[in-house]
Amino acid sequence: MMNRGILQALQKIYPADRLLTRDVELLPYESDALTAFNAKPGAVVLPVNEEEIIDTVRLCHQLALPFVARGSGTSLSGGSLPIPEGLTIGLNRLNRIKKIDPLQRIAVVEPGVINLHITEAAQPYGLYYAPDPSSQSICTIGGNIAFNSGGAHCLKYGMTSNHVLAMKVVLADGTVTRFGGESVDGVGIGPDLVGLFVGSEGLFGIALEITVRLMPQPELYQTVLAAYDDLGRAGDAVSMVVASGLLPGAMEIMDRLAIKAAEASVSAGYPDAEALLIVELEGEALQVEAEFEQLLGIIEKSSAIEVRVAQNEEERTRIWKGRKGAFSAVGRLSPDYIVQDGVVPRSRLGEALVEIGALKDKYQLDVANVFHAGDGNLHPLILYDGREAGALERAEALAGEILALCISLGGSITGEHGIGMEKRDYLPAMFSEEEIDIMEGLRRAIDPNEIANRGKMFPGGEAPALSQHGVHPLERAGLISRE
Amino acid sequence: MTMYAPRSVTELQALVLDSERIHVIGNGSKPALHCAVNGAAIVDLSGMSGIIEYQPAEYTATVRAGAPVRELSAALREKGQYLPFDPLLPEAATIGGTVASNLSGSRRFRYGGVRDFILGAQVVDGEGRAFGVGGKVVKNSAGFDLSKFLVGSMGKYAIMTELTFKVFPDVPRFRSLGFHYEELEEALSAIYFINQSAYELDALDLAPPSVHPINRGKKNGNWMLLARLAGFDDTLPRRVERFTAAMTRDTATIRVEELHDSAALWNPLADLTGEFLVKVVIPPKQLPAFDALIAHNRRRYSVGGNIAWAATDDIAQLDTALTSCGLTGLCLSGAVDSALIGVPIDNALAERVKQVLDPLGKLV
Repeated sequence: MMNRGILQALQKIYPADRLLTRDVELLPYESDALTAFNAKPGAVVLPVNEEEIIDTVRLCHQLALPFVARGSGTSLSGGSLPIPEGLTIGLNRLNRIKKIDPLQRIAVVEPGVINLHITEAAQPYGLYYAPDPSSQSICTIGGNIAFNSGGAHCLKYGMTSNHVLAMKVVLADGTVTRFGGESVDGVGIGPDLVGLFVGSEGLFGIALEITVRLMPQPELYQTVLAAYDDLGRAGDAVSMVVASGLLPGAMEIMDRLAIKAAEASVSAGYPDAEALLIVELEGEALQVEAEFEQLLGIIEKSSAIEVRVAQNEEERTRIWKGRKGAFSAVGRLSPDYIVQDGVVPRSRLGEALVEIGALKDKYQLDVANVFHAGDGNLHPLILYDGREAGALERAEALAGEILALCISLGGSITGEHGIGMEKRDYLPAMFSEEEIDIMEGLRRAIDPNEIANRGKMFPGGEAPALSQHGVHPLERAGLISRE
Repeated sequence: MTMYAPRSVTELQALVLDSERIHVIGNGSKPALHCAVNGAAIVDLSGMSGIIEYQPAEYTATVRAGAPVRELSAALREKGQYLPFDPLLPEAATIGGTVASNLSGSRRFRYGGVRDFILGAQVVDGEGRAFGVGGKVVKNSAGFDLSKFLVGSMGKYAIMTELTFKVFPDVPRFRSLGFHYEELEEALSAIYFINQSAYELDALDLAPPSVHPINRGKKNGNWMLLARLAGFDDTLPRRVERFTAAMTRDTATIRVEELHDSAALWNPLADLTGEFLVKVVIPPKQLPAFDALIAHNRRRYSVGGNIAWAATDDIAQLDTALTSCGLTGLCLSGAVDSALIGVPIDNALAERVKQVLDPLGKLV
């Protein structure tokens, strides 16, 4: 329970139905998609306009009250986990698409707008919003911005950061500032502030208004699914595709356990194999048709045991349904799991997978592998049973070894999920003490009280309870998934 | 004015620690960016050059900041790859200068600008600290993305010594077409038509009547929309045919011609002569109002009308035009007190970065 003075100040901004303080009201906010952690916020506020957000942030700054901005709570790194006794600012009600400008191919949206809703609004004009995290039907743009969310189609057109042209934000000390513009060159002149703000994990402040670029819907997609009797061969096929000079929109690999989970969950009709590779080309029909012929030639030479080409949109959707649902599907195989998000150079994927195989044996835990092969972004799912004593600790130790492995291979500890709560202790494995000092210095220059999303990204700080097990209720309902 | 040419990061760090004010220069291909340095020590980074690591299979390349763009481009070309952000001054600029000033050429249209292809950097800040930002793999979201912040930062926050980029496979063949329009609004409508279509162009520029060599000298020439398609031998001719048919059917084009595809044709600055050369970031919808104010200047609207390049002998007049349209310009050549003209930029967030990386204000 928050102290009375703070509550009274919040009551000046919010009516009772948008200021939540009772235990039963706070419960849904105690955790996000990283269900291994939970914490009880002091209160949750639900602003309906940007003035309320600005007033709230200014109040928090004045009172040195920690806050976390939250969209739909789909963060896989615990990024939107409440700060114990802090304020959670729920942004779902700021969900207006303020403008779709098809001529200039842009949209101006509020932070609580759901990712997929932008594409739906743009569709009548033949346009779409490109970043496609697996949770796109529920995750919000504000959250995508905080964590620079990716998806299966990042190789060609980039992540969230590459699609944001302009923003109006309130910094953690209450300063309101704008950067960028409606030109596709975005910030264009002066340091790229959009690029700095996107991916700052909610530590800089809150995005109030976001201008994103839209892209024309490709005229044609061509999708091929290839099955292999060895995970390494699927990896080799990826290298062959890259060496050929083709630039696919997506290249995804799933291993046997992930295939099994996907089959059990959505019956995608996948072949029985050690590994599946999905490659998708997109673009102008004539070009895609020619490139697809080339691609099939490569796949043929890659010792695939079975090759299937999506003959129509329905078959394409089915292929993707299995892949996009793979994470939540793993929930059927195991009561609990941790998703890792490390990146390795593409040419070292094979090595990484062999190592993960060995680690799996060492810790006696199952690991399902799903990954964005085109950009070397691994998503090992470490399965464990939280009811079993010491299982979570073992799973976390295994996860830590995978992160160390990614760094030793010259990669990164996170491709698209962010550091959040989950990986904060591994930040020093990737950055020197001086580099972390500089990042912390920057954080304090923006937020002297360190109130914005306190306890995330940087090592140390108070940790919320590590207790829950089982999938998030929203995930169980099939509304969110972990990619 | 004292000139220094450090050969290593350690030498550069020592220089920063020993100097009160420092201004960095690469090849000096954008002289206006070096005008207002008032007695600062000039650090010439062109000696810190060379490709450190290029891995075609990873689509990544790491180079020293002082490396000439042409050196990196040549190495990429050998492996059939390129820098999709299309450095503006491919023959004259260094890679560090290109990032610091955020200058892309016309091919930025296809896949994006410098910010979309920078992955990481090594820098020396105003405190003399040498450190890394970003990463070296094509996908990475660990820590604050200071590598993107460096794009357009003009060497005022940290000095880049090493840069890592994502690169892409290039295509072997190009075809360039010129579509003629009587009025700017008609040409702009054609851009909007393309924006909502699935035709994938490699570049799209708009040249006013008086500027382009084909129009030059004709009093009442046309606006020419320059479109470039890229692809492979077997499909490119059919794609060109299809695109041309759609453009002549659905836009007000009065004439189409095939143009000789060349680097000169796609150099947006090729015909811009004047004392001052200025980059303007502009939403396409503002083109008519802006163009009306600068119609006597040589100019070209690049990247689908999202970046304007203007040459002028009267910088005050251009400054006024920018201000009245609410636009900002970056002056690349000509003697100016400040390279930024027009509407100032809201720097609240950048100032915080300055406090951390260069609290003494050494880097100018």
